[in-house]
Amino acid sequence: MTEHRTQIKIVGEILDTATHEIDEHEGTTITHIIRKANISHGRLSTILNNLVSQGLLEQVNSKRSYRYKTSSSGREFLVAYKTFREFSDDFGLTI
Amino acid sequence: MEFFLEIILNLVGLLVGIVVGTISYIGFKNTGSPTLFRISIAFFAIGIGFGILATGFILDDFIFKTGDINRGISTLGVASQTVGYWFIAFSHTIRTFFPKSRYLRSIGAIPLFLVSFNYVENILRAVSFILLVYGAIETLISYIQGRKKTTLFVAIGLGLLGFGEFIGWYSFVFPETILYVFSILIKIGGLISVGIPVSKIPLRKISFDENL
Repeated sequence: MTEHRTQIKIVGEILDTATHEIDEHEGTTITHIIRKANISHGRLSTILNNLVSQGLLEQVNSKRSYRYKTSSSGREFLVAYKTFREFSDDFGLTI
Repeated sequence: MEFFLEIILNLVGLLVGIVVGTISYIGFKNTGSPTLFRISIAFFAIGIGFGILATGFILDDFIFKTGDINRGISTLGVASQTVGYWFIAFSHTIRTFFPKSRYLRSIGAIPLFLVSFNYVENILRAVSFILLVYGAIETLISYIQGRKKTTLFVAIGLGLLGFGEFIGWYSFVFPETILYVFSILIKIGGLISVGIPVSKIPLRKISFDENL
């Protein structure tokens, strides 16, 4: 049975990818995020725009494509997200 | 002795409810998770319920000295706790709690006006018991899937709260026995067990939302 992921869980996975999976250009490509976070391109574009406008992600311009990396406030959010994901897991619930 | 234990139980319940509710609310403010918002409402309601009961027992012990808590205060406290247990059960995607028929829904509230506070309190306690058993089973299923020890503690805690309620009913049948004291001790154990996840929160490592 496939697990239903909440919006916040998807955001957590995107930020986690953009924090730990950065390349030599200090960013992550959209293709890489799509593969790691298992999300469609259309949906990812909307979420990425929101995350950039909220200051959780930074857009890094390189020659060929846009790359993304987690900002400092994004990293703080990621720490809080992981902590409270554990907390809601303790109650048998999904964050 | 029973009165003293009741006050201890309700103060522990107040503390656990407010602490878990506050941590969940901080989590909600930092992540925007609706699940954490529901947990915070649940535990604030449970904490406030225990607080109301504690106030009732303390008022009677020090001022009224009737030997029993005021039924109105008691019903209010139990009602608040039931709301909290409902939110825990609701978070486990309880879907068909209320009858679907409009007629049944319209007459569903009538018994509340026809029966005394004592009956309402017993009905609420019965509903709480069902919700606690439901919550305990769902949490236990989550433990089986994830094998997290703290999840098991929460499941055991909810189960103990339900079991304590169940034992409490027997004290109506067999009054003046040790069953009532036993039920209170079981509930205190349950509350402590439910509060264990709070100890896992590394509060110093999180920079909380400045707007809080």
